Parts: sequence; C-alpha cells; structure tokens
Amino acid sequence: MVISDQTVYAYAVGRVRALETRLLDRGRLERMIEAATADEALKVLAESDYAGAVGELADLYDFEQLLAAELKNVFKTVLRISPAPDQIAILALRYDVHNLKVLFKEKYLGLKSDLLIDAGTLDHENLQYAVNEDDFRDLPEQLRKASEKISEEFLLNRNPQMIDIAFDQALYSRLLAETARLKSEFLTGLFTRQIDLINLKSLIRVKRMRFDRDFLRKVLLLGGRLTPERFILLVDEPLEALITSLAMTDYADLIAEGVRDWIERGSAARLEKLSDDFISAYLKRSKWTPFGPEPLIGYLWAKEMEINNIRLILVGKINKLPAEAIRERLRDGYL
Amino acid sequence: MDGIQIALLGAALAVGLAGIGSAIGVGIVGQSAAGLVTEDPDKFGQTLLLQALPGTQGIYGLLTGFIIMQRVGIIGGELLPLSVANGYAFLMASVPIAIVGLLSAVYQGRVSAAAVGLVAKRPEELGKGIVYAVMVETYAVLALLASIMLLFGIPV
Repeated sequence: MVISDQTVYAYAVGRVRALETRLLDRGRLERMIEAATADEALKVLAESDYAGAVGELADLYDFEQLLAAELKNVFKTVLRISPAPDQIAILALRYDVHNLKVLFKEKYLGLKSDLLIDAGTLDHENLQYAVNEDDFRDLPEQLRKASEKISEEFLLNRNPQMIDIAFDQALYSRLLAETARLKSEFLTGLFTRQIDLINLKSLIRVKRMRFDRDFLRKVLLLGGRLTPERFILLVDEPLEALITSLAMTDYADLIAEGVRDWIERGSAARLEKLSDDFISAYLKRSKWTPFGPEPLIGYLWAKEMEINNIRLILVGKINKLPAEAIRERLRDGYL
Repeated sequence: MDGIQIALLGAALAVGLAGIGSAIGVGIVGQSAAGLVTEDPDKFGQTLLLQALPGTQGIYGLLTGFIIMQRVGIIGGELLPLSVANGYAFLMASVPIAIVGLLSAVYQGRVSAAAVGLVAKRPEELGKGIVYAVMVETYAVLALLASIMLLFGIPV
C-alpha cells in the first residue's frame, strides 16, 4: 500500500530518536565504574540527564527511588506518544506481576522481598487491597486465576517458589494472548525468546537442585520457541548434553558461555547478563524501522537496561566490589 | 463533451494528484520533525529543510497544469477549439507527473522522515540524509520532463 498505516508512528519515532541520544553511553558508565566511591559515581551520573533527579536525592541509599521514578516516567512518556498505547501497556504488565509477587510474599512469608515498582498498569493500593482481603475480582483474568490459586494452595504446601512460578506462567500466557490479539510478530518474537531464556534457567536450576522431571514440568512456561519436551528430556543428562543439544539454536553461544560460567562459579549472573544482551540484540535488529512500534519498544528496553546498569554500578560501589566484577555484569548498550 | 473539458481534466489531475502526494509526504516529515523538535528545539532548521523536499512534486504538477492551461488558451489568449482526440492527448500527457508525482512524494516523505532520525543522532550528516531523499526526486523530475515533452508535442 502507498500510505502505510505505520506512518502514524512518525511523531513518536522522531521523538524517540532524540531521546535515544540521551541514553547513558558506555563511556559515562565506565567513568561511574572507575569512580573512587559511590558518591563519586553518583556525581558522574549527575552530569547526565539524571541531573535533576540526583540533585533531589537526600541520601545516596535512596537511589532506588530515583531509578523507580525514572522508570515510571519513561513508561509514561512512551505511552503518551505512542499511537497504539496497547502495545506499550503490555510491557508494563511485568511490573504488575512483580508487585503482586512482592505483596504475596509479604503476606505469606512476612518478608519485604523487594520494592514495589510503580510502572505497572494497576494501582498499588488496589493490589494491596486485593491481596490483603483475598478479593481478586478486579484483576485481569490470568492474574486473578494465579492469585486465587496461590491463596488456596499456599497454606497447604508453603512453597514460596510457587508464587513466582504461578505468576510467571500467568504473565506469559497473558502476554502471548495479547500479542496474538494485536497480531504483533515483533512482540511475539520478543516474548517467545524471553520464555525460552526463563525455561533454560529453570532447567539449570532444577538440575542443580537435583529435582526430577515432574517438578520441571510444573515450572516450565508454555509457548516458547523451544518446546517444554526439549527441556524435560535434558533433565537427567549431563550439562554438556545441554550445550550440544541446543547448539543448533541461536541460543548456542549464550548457553556455552553462560552455563559453563554458572557451573564453574555457581552464579547465574553471567547467564542473566547474556540473556539480557540476547534480547537487546533481538530488539536492535528492528531499531531503524522508520515507522512502527519497534523503536519505541527498543527504547523502553534500552532504558530498563540503563537503569539496571546504574543499579549494578551503585550497588557495586556501595559494597566496594572491584571494578572488573561490576564491568563483567554490565549489560550491553542499545546504541 | 468536446476536447476542452478532457484537457482540463488532465490539468486538474496533474495539479491535484501531485499535490496530494506532496501534502502526504510533507505531512509525514512534519510529524517526525515535530517529535524530534519536542526534545531538541535546535534541530528546527535542519528538519525544515528535510520537510520541504517532498513538496516539489506539487510544484511540478502545478507547472504541468499551467502549461496545459497556456496551450489550450485558458491563460494568455483565446480559447482554442479542441477536438476530442486532442483533448485526450492533453489528458494523457498529464498522466506521468500526476501518478509519479503522487507516489514519489509519499515515498520521498518516508525517506525524509527517516533522515529526521538520522539528524537526531548525527546532525553533521544532514547532507547525506538529503541526498537519499533527493534520489527519489529523480523520478519525479523524469516524469515532469516526459509530461512537458508530450505537452509541447501536441499539435493544436
């Protein structure tokens, strides 16, 4: 067609192109890492677009509030400029699920596992009310079912992992249903890749904890590019078999490097970093689409990675980690 | 119907279709530029240049329309008694710029809008963005040339 509908994105993409130029570049992150103290690192951050927010920060240890506010603002901006806010809003569902997990854990385990993040689509107070009163009527269908399941079963088996599993499954089944409705191949590609990466991590965790196939079957998310059977077959095999079995997929490099590192050092940090970089690489492929939601989604992701990187550096600096330890966890840039 | 109405339809299509194309093209670039300038007002001048590029097709259409009007005597002289066959000849001569003008302006608008993204990242490369957009212009110029040659070849 001559006049593609996608040109409605002209304004939004033009604006995102300008916003992208303000993402922190590698050089600035590097200077933050090289800073002598966390306060010094914060000063480097204050030279960027974060200047205003850093200025208002009363105490270094409140940096999480700064990052949460930034995330919220980014979502708000992109939602406002997007001609199809639906496509952006489903990316915020992740934060609803995060908040529900935090609230349920607080209720059942009595621990504050994480901060609530104010970037989701549902209001905190409503979520708090729903969880406290066991009244989930106002939640979207998949989240309501997961919440009901947890509130019925948790007192029986008292397994905190169940909260994470039930909500991840609810989240991704909702995301896939939404992308099917929106007919967005790009988003489907994004979510199916994320599902594969989560399943991969589940498989390795299950193997390390020496749980059996039945347990893995309950944990795996459906709808990824790799079928659950593929993962289940690998439970009783050595990890080398995992590397060869998935060598023909585009996860090969990530598995070879990330999984080996996990086995050697007992930490999933490297695999987490490589997984995020894998998603960044996928989004980067559509970065230069002149009209369409792709650059907006890419920018949101880039901003999330930037916020992650700032957190990594500040936490590292506060805990006086060596520069190299911080650097190797740093996510690749989107630029 | 005699020849004059058909010839005027040709003029109307040349001005109208090429003008529509330019309006769409300029509109797309304008939106894109507005997005950029929201965040970076200093880029106004550069993006204005890019926005102007898809505007030329409308001018070519108008030029073709003028030539038809002049040749049939609507402007500057007596209205000629045109045969139906000659009327069709004018209509057909306007087709190249009408159709190519419409499509090329839209596509040129898309290229220019993409170049707005280029200017956002690398303002110093504005020239290259313009060159890309001007490549599309070639075909509008060729169509204009064909229309003009056809128009002056019609014996009236």
